[in-house]
Amino acid sequence: MAKKILIIDDDKIFVKILRDGLMAGGGGKYEVITAFDGEEGFVTAANERPDLIMLDMMMPKVTGIEFLKKLRSVEWGKDTPVIIETQLSDLGKMSEGVELGVTGYIIKSDYSLDTILKQVEDVLK
Amino acid sequence: MVPLELLYIIIIFSLLYIAVVIFSYLGLRKLRKNILEQGREAKRRMYEIAILKEIGDRTGYSLNIQKILDVIVGSLGQFLDYSAVSYMLLSPSKVVFKVDLDESVSAKFVGDIRSRMLSSLSALLGRDIAETEIEETITGAIMVESSSDPVQSYFNIPLVIGGELVGVLTVSNTKPGLYKESEMEILYKIVNQASQAVTRLEDVIKTEQGKIAAMIESMLEGVVMTDKDYIVIAANPAAKTVIGHKEAGVPTIFNFIDAFSGTLDIRSKLEEAIKLDKILTINEVFFGNKYYQVVVSPVKANIGLTKGEILGGVIIFHDITHEKEAEKMRNDFTSMMVHELRSPLGNIKKIGEMMRTPKVLEDKQASSEYVTMLYESSSSMLDLVNDLLDIAKLEAGKFSIEKGAVKIREIIADRVKFFETVAKDAGINLTFIVGDGVPDTVSLDPKRISQVLNNLISNALNYTEKGGRVTISSFMHKKEKNIFDEASAVGVPWVTENMSSMLENTTDSLIISVTDTGEGISKENTEKLFNKFTQFSSSIRGAKHSGTGLGLVIARGIVEAHSGIIGVGSKEGKGSTFYFALPL
Repeated sequence: MAKKILIIDDDKIFVKILRDGLMAGGGGKYEVITAFDGEEGFVTAANERPDLIMLDMMMPKVTGIEFLKKLRSVEWGKDTPVIIETQLSDLGKMSEGVELGVTGYIIKSDYSLDTILKQVEDVLK
Repeated sequence: MVPLELLYIIIIFSLLYIAVVIFSYLGLRKLRKNILEQGREAKRRMYEIAILKEIGDRTGYSLNIQKILDVIVGSLGQFLDYSAVSYMLLSPSKVVFKVDLDESVSAKFVGDIRSRMLSSLSALLGRDIAETEIEETITGAIMVESSSDPVQSYFNIPLVIGGELVGVLTVSNTKPGLYKESEMEILYKIVNQASQAVTRLEDVIKTEQGKIAAMIESMLEGVVMTDKDYIVIAANPAAKTVIGHKEAGVPTIFNFIDAFSGTLDIRSKLEEAIKLDKILTINEVFFGNKYYQVVVSPVKANIGLTKGEILGGVIIFHDITHEKEAEKMRNDFTSMMVHELRSPLGNIKKIGEMMRTPKVLEDKQASSEYVTMLYESSSSMLDLVNDLLDIAKLEAGKFSIEKGAVKIREIIADRVKFFETVAKDAGINLTFIVGDGVPDTVSLDPKRISQVLNNLISNALNYTEKGGRVTISSFMHKKEKNIFDEASAVGVPWVTENMSSMLENTTDSLIISVTDTGEGISKENTEKLFNKFTQFSSSIRGAKHSGTGLGLVIARGIVEAHSGIIGVGSKEGKGSTFYFALPL
């Protein structure tokens, strides 16, 4: 069965590339769903129960950290693997993320699609 | 026989001769007397000059009247004959009584002088000082108990400094009728001159001290001065504010040490500065929610014999919170810019990666989608770079506009048309109202004014929800007329709350406004809107909206380059009116 990946990010272009990249690179292994802010993301996550969440830290309405806290507070979201997307300048937020049990991180502007694909594969193995 | 006439003549001549001799003698005597007198006068003068010089030499810049009196007393013997010369000086707690004896006198004699001096001091002061403690010093000849010579000659010279009686100088003798007025006069003169010198010196020092005190009082920096034993001599109001010392009076060094304990060891810094004669600068001391640069420096004497000697220390607290905030804003700005540039750049890179895969290359629709994305990403980067260049030009004062006679209505209408599709897609009603009297052509830079309009209209559309309304208007403003009345007269909606400028004093101008029914801006944030750095340090834009907010900063630069005014009126939940006035 295809693994469900939820991308939550307000950068629409990035979401599209990542989605296309995961779909193409995964060769049908992954089903990718998307949300453009934390609020929408939480609703989608609650409905779809994804196997992996790729979460942007800098987001409108509900920020990445707020989303994580909320996710970890509900039964179904306690153990969902989360990969956070950050910018180099934002690495300070990592420690907060680690406390909330993130599985990994990607640096948005620096990591190539291949690196991201590999990381996703590792997490979902 | 000698004729009688001749005898007469001889007698007359003899008499004349005698008269001449007598007159000559008398004249000579008078002359001699004058010369002697002049000699004495010259001697007095010499003494006067000598003693004044001596006073000057021996006391230097001393303000100590007692030292000066000692000099006078010590040299008085060259000029006056006395049994005792004495002075009494008033100090807050006691009376200093010093007697210099030139010959043996009895204790009764000294006691007599003491009581005479006390009563004359009391009389001069107008209050009784007989009860005050007296510090007595007697120097010179031995007192002989058997002698019972009373005080027979005596005179007093009051000591006045700065218009205030400080004491009395007395010369006394066991012999009667000794002191002539001229002698008293000279002594009086000397004492008077010495007093005047001290008074002048005190005045100068008081003025200088006053100047320094006023300067230190008004300094923004906190200044604390201590002596060598770290006892606080002075602390200005700013220094008291630093440690939150609210009581009146000078705080102690412990107030400072305690306040800074755990942050900065003031005591050891002060010790280091004083003992090692070093100026210490401690950058960035964070204390009481503020940043300080603290300088601890030794204080050295800069005049006199003790020049260079360390007298104590000074601690200066320089509040650098503002600089630190500005620095933080600059850093925030830079990291924001880096973020804004990295995101599209990162996307471009990934689009390139995707497009290299054969699957996308073969898929015509996917390819064209990616090309569109490439275009969007690079456009947004280019826009940002252009904005940054504009900002840089504005800051360097090199921002220039190219004015020309343009049809303003067409320019606005063109912009409105440009945004019509976007507005329609977003479900927002976009309208354009032109008031009467708007001239056909106006002198302005069409490209730059279009840039301002683009910014204001796109902001308005961004912040307005579906079903909302964005109204663009252009009308004339007359000086001293109310802008709200003028707007409502042409049917232009205007958010009147928290207006940043009322435009009453503006000359006749062309007003262009963009009013939305969006979420509005808080008063606090409207003040930050047009400022480059505060745009970033606050969440003005609201979490919902992306962008750098540089557009408004540039818009202000453009409008100001046209000698115009840009402003905003806004209320949360109601909407905002952004406007600019271009003087005609």
